[in-house]
Amino acid sequence: MGFILRRLAFYLAAIFVAISFNFIMPRLMPGNPVDALFASAMGKMPPETLAAYKEMLGFVDGPLWKQYFVYIKSVLTWDLGPTIMLYPVQVTDVLAAKVPWTVGLAGLSTLIAVFIGIIIGTYASYNRGKFVDSFMPTFWAFVGAMPQAVTALFIFFLFALTLRWFPLSYGANPDLDPAFSWTYISSILHHGVLPLVSMVLGGIGAWIFNMRNAMINVLGEDFITMAKAKGLSSRRIMTHYAARNAILPVVTGISMQIGFVMAGAIFIETVFNYPGLGLLMFKSLESRDYPTMQACLLLIVVFVLIANFIADLLYLWLDPRLRN
Amino acid sequence: MIRTDKPLLSIRKVCVDYVTEHGNARAVNEVSFDIYPGETVGLAGESGCGKSTLAFAIANLHEAPALISEGEILFEGRDILKMSSTQLRDFRWNETSMVFQSAMNSLNPVLKISEQIIDVILAHKKVSKEEAWTRGAELLSTVGIHPSRMDSYPHQLSGGMRQRVVIAIALALRPKLIVMDEPTTALDVVVERDIMDELFELKEKFGFAILFISHDLGLMGEIADRIGIMYAGKLVEMADAAQILEQPQHPYTRGLVGSFPTIHGPRVRLEGIPGNPLNLLETPEGCYFQARCSDCIDKCLTQQPKLTQSAQAGERDRLVACHVATDLEVPA
Amino acid sequence: MTESAHQPPALAAVQSNRFGLVMKKYLTAIARFYRGNPTAIMGTFIVGSLIIMSLAAPLIAQNEPTKRVARGHQPPSMELLFGSTRSGKDVFSQVLHGGRISLTVAFGAAALTTVIAVLVGISAGYFGGKVDEILMSVTNIVLVFPQLPLLIILAAFLGQVGPLIIAVIIGSTSWAWGARIIRSQTMAIRNKEFITSAEVMGESKARIVLVEILPNLISIVVGGFVGTSIYALMAEAGLEFLGLGDPTVITWGTMLYWAQSNSAFIVGAWWDMVVPGMAIAIMGGGLALLNMSIDQISNPKLKTGAYIKIWRKQKAQMIARRARS
Repeated sequence: MGFILRRLAFYLAAIFVAISFNFIMPRLMPGNPVDALFASAMGKMPPETLAAYKEMLGFVDGPLWKQYFVYIKSVLTWDLGPTIMLYPVQVTDVLAAKVPWTVGLAGLSTLIAVFIGIIIGTYASYNRGKFVDSFMPTFWAFVGAMPQAVTALFIFFLFALTLRWFPLSYGANPDLDPAFSWTYISSILHHGVLPLVSMVLGGIGAWIFNMRNAMINVLGEDFITMAKAKGLSSRRIMTHYAARNAILPVVTGISMQIGFVMAGAIFIETVFNYPGLGLLMFKSLESRDYPTMQACLLLIVVFVLIANFIADLLYLWLDPRLRN
Repeated sequence: MIRTDKPLLSIRKVCVDYVTEHGNARAVNEVSFDIYPGETVGLAGESGCGKSTLAFAIANLHEAPALISEGEILFEGRDILKMSSTQLRDFRWNETSMVFQSAMNSLNPVLKISEQIIDVILAHKKVSKEEAWTRGAELLSTVGIHPSRMDSYPHQLSGGMRQRVVIAIALALRPKLIVMDEPTTALDVVVERDIMDELFELKEKFGFAILFISHDLGLMGEIADRIGIMYAGKLVEMADAAQILEQPQHPYTRGLVGSFPTIHGPRVRLEGIPGNPLNLLETPEGCYFQARCSDCIDKCLTQQPKLTQSAQAGERDRLVACHVATDLEVPA
Repeated sequence: MTESAHQPPALAAVQSNRFGLVMKKYLTAIARFYRGNPTAIMGTFIVGSLIIMSLAAPLIAQNEPTKRVARGHQPPSMELLFGSTRSGKDVFSQVLHGGRISLTVAFGAAALTTVIAVLVGISAGYFGGKVDEILMSVTNIVLVFPQLPLLIILAAFLGQVGPLIIAVIIGSTSWAWGARIIRSQTMAIRNKEFITSAEVMGESKARIVLVEILPNLISIVVGGFVGTSIYALMAEAGLEFLGLGDPTVITWGTMLYWAQSNSAFIVGAWWDMVVPGMAIAIMGGGLALLNMSIDQISNPKLKTGAYIKIWRKQKAQMIARRARS
């Protein structure tokens, strides 16, 4: 229990650091922060709205700490104002629309990559020195080193453009209305295949590697020898004795990888025009819509922390040595 | 004492090699001896002499890079090394079980004690889970642990308790032979005493044979009927425990015995054994012990001594592999 | 006769020989590392050739990377090994010249990261206590931050940044993971007796760190450097691909950016995109192979040594022998 509380406290601290980072960044830039931040808003927003926006983001008269408090209050009350590039749509609305796509894409691809990676990694560790073990890690090292954008583009080129098996962009057919109908859901699935495959390809190498190394380490332990001496079936040894222990460092690895997954999402959503947070970040980058960009960062940070927390809970469940 | 019954375990000229790119290192070199039912045989020697390697070989537990290259290991007449994997799995733990050096490392940290006792029972006997559980609780009380501990994880127990759990698991299927590899080395002397006493009681009660491996000759003297001494993979001496400790014949045994202080008796200066352990990739011609032996003669440099009956008349069961010891009293 | 000021000849001979001996020791250690280790050999070969080719770019490439030498989007041919870009520039020349900058950024950022990670990790691990707590809190927070979004925002705020700035911002944000690993290794070493004896003997802390602790961390530090180079290479390419780099500088990342802006794939000029992409993949892969072989040094269990094949053969022979008897 203490473990969970400590982790939560840490994550709260991290969120505050992220918020503070967002606060400090514009003020560190050369020149007038306000002008730079809202440069792209000139001509788009009526001046009163702009003034209210500036105030909300803490650009009020007064000492720095006062500005900081105003800013924190705005963020915590979820009062982030309008986007600049899509004025007058509110930032929070845009974010809310994009979140499910990214969470779905990143979450699902991670689950698949972890699952397949664990199986291949276990298989490789059991067949040391054979072709599988020398080929797999090397092959995936190269595939993983390919920039995710390029892999995504290659898949896009091959399957969407040339073979026309899959659509070129969007999360779902834009002509359809969102509904819980099979047509809409199947459209989502159809549009999601290529982005999903790209994400999985980019991340799977790391899981194979992690699991293989973790298994090799565990298989050298004494309790594995004892399990063999006990005459247990190899299935039981592989699952209950080896994998059950090897999975612990792999779960820790999940926490490390999540940031990388989100990075990949940015590239892949850009290539496939997939309506998630990554694409939003890219678009706000293009139009220099700093407030939206910062909101994106904050939200991505929040999701990474949530994923980390889930990994922590998972670890707690799997390792009895932590429960005391 | 001369046994007339059949041996339980017969190790015949077993060789275990470690395969490296620079050649094979022979960790166990043509070792032969027998263990009779109910007997406790000790195997002593310094670190790296091959005693643990031999212990692993008995249940055919070796993985790459170790390889049991030659010899036979007969358990009640059946060669373990020729068994198929199904036969091997039946044999393991049923007939022979093992107690490893570090109980903390032998137990799976993520499974409860109960699961680790029950799974071996269920793997070999067709009983229900409840019956297996009851049996497990019984076993724990036999070694002096309260059955409520069944639901504990290994890290929640003290070192001594963990070792008792491992012993309880070893007894689960009432094996005829238990191989114990340095079972008390990782424990402090007080706990060690308790465990040894308990072992003795269990041995009396259940009548299993023990292969007790340790570098602690003094400890071995208490529980073993016979003791074998290994050096650089070879068995260099084998005799009744009392004979080994009081009248060691091989120079290495003499060195080992001389290295252990006694609490009683006159204070004597301890003598160690000079030199370093042998590099198994560069073995000499002749006796392996020659570089460290004070009795070395010319013959030792060229001919490897074989394990033979000691020249001292009337002692049938004394085996020693030393030119000097066996050539004693041979008329010129 | 008084002792002359210079050393007797014998001593001088020994000392000059000593350098030779030390060199020999290092060379034999290196040779041993490579023997029978195809991963290490292949990795070094790949990394080495790419580095050499990039360094020798002006010698190898006939055309200037920025000069228009052909029509736009010409496919690979005998004259233009890798074809031409949208604006008619030589892709082969660009990828070689661009490699110099991309690799410098990658290794430079990795060097910066490694230095910070070593400083933070060893300090936290060796000094412990409050220092450790503070350093670790900071490290953990940096660690949990998603790297690329952070880099994007930093680069966005800084405007269009050149490779140097990119190297600096990558280098100053990626040290957290390495610091953690170095810290735990330092703590493991610190508790060993040779450190305690050095402290008792009164060796200065700086000397202990440099002479006793650091040499034991070499394989982790080198492994960390290699691993970070892979990450930095990809991060740099990623940032430039998104348009955050200086598009007038030619690097592998900006090549990707221009290819994407010119819709290379869609118009069929795949070489525009694939060549820099493959350059990054091959370099990254080679570094990953090196990383794997360095891993095997710190953790010998991971070695897929030649001994396994020998073992399998001997085991098969043994089983056949037993079956016959």
